Amino acid sequence: MIRALGWLAVLGLMAGLAAGFGYAPREAVQGNVQRIMYLHVPAVLTAYLAFVLVLAGSIGYLATRRSGWDRLAAAAGEIGVLFTGLTIVSGSIWGKPTWGTWWTWDARLTSTAVLFCVYVGYLLLRSLIEDPEARARYAAVVGILGAVNIPIVHFSVKWWRALHQPSTILGPERSPIDPAIGLALFVNWVAFTLLFAYFLSRRMEIARLEEQT
Amino acid sequence: MTYARRAWIILWKDLLIERRAKEHANALLFFCLLLLFLFQFALGPDRERLAAAVPGLLWLGFILAGLLGLGRSFLGERDNDCWEGLRLTPGDKSAIYLGKLAGNCVLMTAVEIILVVLFGVFYDVDLWTPAAPLALVLALGTIGLAAVGTLFAAMTTQVRARELLFPVLLLPVQVPVLLATVSATQALLLGQPLADVAHWLKLLAGADLVYVTIGILTFEFVLEG
Amino acid sequence: MPSNWGYVLAAYGIAAVTLLSYWRHLARRSRALATRRPAKRRAA
Repeated sequence: MIRALGWLAVLGLMAGLAAGFGYAPREAVQGNVQRIMYLHVPAVLTAYLAFVLVLAGSIGYLATRRSGWDRLAAAAGEIGVLFTGLTIVSGSIWGKPTWGTWWTWDARLTSTAVLFCVYVGYLLLRSLIEDPEARARYAAVVGILGAVNIPIVHFSVKWWRALHQPSTILGPERSPIDPAIGLALFVNWVAFTLLFAYFLSRRMEIARLEEQT
Repeated sequence: MTYARRAWIILWKDLLIERRAKEHANALLFFCLLLLFLFQFALGPDRERLAAAVPGLLWLGFILAGLLGLGRSFLGERDNDCWEGLRLTPGDKSAIYLGKLAGNCVLMTAVEIILVVLFGVFYDVDLWTPAAPLALVLALGTIGLAAVGTLFAAMTTQVRARELLFPVLLLPVQVPVLLATVSATQALLLGQPLADVAHWLKLLAGADLVYVTIGILTFEFVLEG
Repeated sequence: MPSNWGYVLAAYGIAAVTLLSYWRHLARRSRALATRRPAKRRAA
C-alpha cells in the first residue's frame, strides 16, 4: 500500500515537472527563474500541512496517551522541517537573480525561517530525551505551542515589514494568475502532498517498528 | 486550600528564598551593568548610532537576562530534591505555574527597571517622558516572555543540555514578542502617542493570553514524571 | 532578461538531492529494522 503511494508520488512529481517546465509559460517579468515557484510554494504548503499534523499528534497524545499520536507528531515534525528547509533554500535561490541578494527579510522568508527554527528546536528536544513517555509528553507541549504561535508570528512579521518597506512579495499574489501557471502550481502541490504522505507513512512505520524492538 | 492561595505560596516561597540568599538579584544586576558595556563597545563611540539602537538593545539586554534568569526557575526544586514535592501537590498543578510565572514576572520587572535606569543614565536617552506607555509595553512583553519561559524552564530542567536547549526553544517562539515590543518601544521613544502602537499592544495582549492559557493547560503534563 | 537557468537547475537540483537522500535514509532504516527484528524474534 505504501509502495503504491510512493509510485503515485513519483508519477505526480513527473507530471509536476512537465507542467512546470513544459506546459506553463515563461513568466513575463521574472523570466524562467519564476519556475522555482513550482517548487517553493508547494514546499511551504506541505510544510504547513506537516505542522498542522504535529499539532494534531500532540493534542492527540496528551488526550489519549496512545503512542500512535506521538509517532504522527514525530514523523510530521521531521518531514516538516525538511520541507521548510527546502522552502527557504528555494526561496533564497529564487531571490538572488530577482532581488539581487541571497537573503531578504521579507515577510514570507522571515516567517518561514522562524518556523524552521521553532521546529528544529522541537526535533532537538526529542533527540535529547531518552524516556519515550517523557519525550512524547514534552514534545507535545512544544508542538502545541509552536503551532498555535504560527499565526502570531505571521502577523508580527508582516506588520514589522510594513514599517520598513512596502511588501515585496515573492509569489503569485502580485497580479491575477495566468491559469496555466495556476494549473502547474496545482499539479505540483498535489505531487508534493502525495510525496509527503508517502514519506509520512514510511517514517511512521519505522517509528512503530522501533518501538517494538 | 484554594487555588489562588497555592499560587501565592509558591510566589512567596520564591521571593523569600531570593530575599535571603540574594543570589539571583546581585548577579543579574551586575550582568545588566556588563551588558551596558558590551553594547557600547559593540556599537562604537558614535552617540547617535547607539541612541538609534536603544529600543532593540533594551529588549536584547532584557532577553539575555531573561534567558539566564528564567532558565533557572525550577533549579531550586531540582537541586534540592523538591521535584517530587511539586508533583505531589494536591489539586490543579497549574497553580504552581501561575505562582512561578508571577515570581518570574517580578524578577524580570526588577531587571527591566534596572536596565531602563542604566540606559537612561549611561546612554543619555530620555526614557522618563514616555515612561507610562513604555511601562505598558514592558509589562506586556514581560508576561509574554515569562509565560513561555516558565513553561519551558520546567521542561528543560529535567533534560540533558538544559542550558543550550532552553534558549533554542524559547527564542524562536518569542520572535513576535520581540518584534512587537521593539517596534512599539521605538515608536514611543520617537515621541509617538500610544494610539499609534495600539496594534502592537493588541498583538502582545493576544499573544500573552495565548501563552498563559497554554501554560496553564499543559503545565501538569510537564510536571509528571 | 538573462535566462537564469543555472538558478532554476540549482534549486531543483538541491531539492532532488535532498528528497532522494531522505528517501534513501528511510529505506536504510526500514531495512535495518527488518533484519534486526527476525533475529530478535528467534532469540526470544
